[in-house]
Amino acid sequence: MSTSIQVKNLSKTYEYFKKEAGLTGSLKSLFWREKLYNEALKGISFKIDEGELIGFLGPNGAGKTTTLKILSGILYPTSGEAVVLGYVPWKRSPEYQRQFSIVMGQKNQLWWDLPAQESFQLNKEIYEIDTKTYRNNLDELIELFEIKDILDIPVRKLSMGQRMKCELSAALLHSPRVLFLDEPTIGLDIISQEKIRHYISEYNKIKKTTVLLTSHYMRDVERLCGRVIVINNGIIVYDGSVQDLMNTYGKHKIIRLRLSKEYTENGLAKYGEILERDGLCVVLKTGKEDIAASTARILNELPVEDLSVEEIEIEEVIKKIFTG
Amino acid sequence: MKQLAYNIFRKIKRYLHLYRVFLSQNLKEDMIYRSNFITLAVMDIGFVSVSVILFKIIFTHVTSIAGWTFHQSIILIGSVGIIREMAYLTFRRGFLELGNHIRKGTFDTFMVRPIAPNIHLAFRHISISESFGEAITGVVLVIYGILHLNNWTWVSIPLYIIFLLNSLFVYYGFSLLINSIVFWVIKTQELNTIVYFFMETSRYPGDIYRGVGKFIFTFIIPIGIIATVPASVLTGRTSWSSALIALFVGISFLTTGILVWRKSIEHYSSASG
Repeated sequence: MSTSIQVKNLSKTYEYFKKEAGLTGSLKSLFWREKLYNEALKGISFKIDEGELIGFLGPNGAGKTTTLKILSGILYPTSGEAVVLGYVPWKRSPEYQRQFSIVMGQKNQLWWDLPAQESFQLNKEIYEIDTKTYRNNLDELIELFEIKDILDIPVRKLSMGQRMKCELSAALLHSPRVLFLDEPTIGLDIISQEKIRHYISEYNKIKKTTVLLTSHYMRDVERLCGRVIVINNGIIVYDGSVQDLMNTYGKHKIIRLRLSKEYTENGLAKYGEILERDGLCVVLKTGKEDIAASTARILNELPVEDLSVEEIEIEEVIKKIFTG
Repeated sequence: MKQLAYNIFRKIKRYLHLYRVFLSQNLKEDMIYRSNFITLAVMDIGFVSVSVILFKIIFTHVTSIAGWTFHQSIILIGSVGIIREMAYLTFRRGFLELGNHIRKGTFDTFMVRPIAPNIHLAFRHISISESFGEAITGVVLVIYGILHLNNWTWVSIPLYIIFLLNSLFVYYGFSLLINSIVFWVIKTQELNTIVYFFMETSRYPGDIYRGVGKFIFTFIIPIGIIATVPASVLTGRTSWSSALIALFVGISFLTTGILVWRKSIEHYSSASG
């Protein structure tokens, strides 16, 4: 299989100026500003084959988005190399730009006041898609994303989930060979999240498009990707199969409890490892397989006021990768 | 050579086509806020009338300003309005929106599409309404001025149009240079105030500047050219040398503007989402 994305020692340092609070600070900064540096990427390297669906996982500010932005030519790297489909991204050659797409969960690329259909039509012209191919691709996307009924509604009136479906369709009209997705499920409800994941994995299966997806939800990656790259503080801390990552670090769940009266630590310990305990609030960690059984036992035996079950947070996973 | 010419031709054809498509998108968007249109037009007509009255008052005391008669000055004021509208039909509002795009990080979109970012930015925000009233009054003033001229020929009309386009290049180049700063300082409100005054000041004939002032306002801050040269061409006041200088300034501002802009966007540090 041919290589689609190759990254070597990529670094990015942002420069910014320190600004002191208040009016005096603002006045002072007119004459003298202290320059600060933020190393967002510290020499990362990886390789992605054509047709792969890769998850880029990491906490906020880890460098995921910066990487995607460099690979799509939005940002210039401070040093290092990258080649995507044979092109150096930050040269921004139109030949490269016609072959990839980037969708950002928090940035709207559609025309806000017009129906999505209008933005699609415009993309047809921008990417010079011939009418027949456009028709075919559009029909396919309408079917896959189930957006037939919302095409004529102004984008500003759509729900977050509907808008994301339209954003994705707009980005896929020119059949890109590489697709960058930056937090595509952010801010969506659970059902919409699940749907978006389904569409992405379907599209990747049908079209064999290389997909690089960033997320700070473990679930996104677990559900979608075979391979995951975990990044923290600008350094790649894990690059391998999702299965292995989950087996090693993701086999636990978190149970959050609020009790109606104090309970002894020993009494609680038999339901799982105590992570936090603050008066009546308790956070327990327990194995994924017996989550149902433990929850049932807790509800039966403890004076529970409130209970929720959560995934282990990515920050926790990363901490574990480091501490082993 | 032939290949190069073909490529340029193809590129121009593509951008003209894209202009048409974007224009219709912008019109659809404008329709949603229709009431804006009339308010803006009325305001523009008001502003232009104020300038005309001002000149009328001055000319009750003198017969010419730096050699310009009242009717020639009317053509000058009218030309400013026409150039303004030409700018709004192409790039002006894009630059007004640039600061927002940078601050919110939506400039990203312009960086990833197969169109040059400056052209995409311009086409994304084509506005007919913004300066429409001024353009209409402009055309009326120019026609009124022409009818009162005695040394006027038909040939000057196409020449006038060519020099209007040249002034648009000067204006665009100047805007590109000023707005390139945004990639370093993020805030552009002040920058576009500079550009605004640049156009405001171009209402006065370039001939009022002498010596160092003339040099500065021709080559560095070319307000002495923008409206003065097209109006001079139309009223038969121009010399070949000043026309050639104007063309030279137009081409150099456009090319340096584009080069500096291209270099500057490398400095774009996209706001993180």
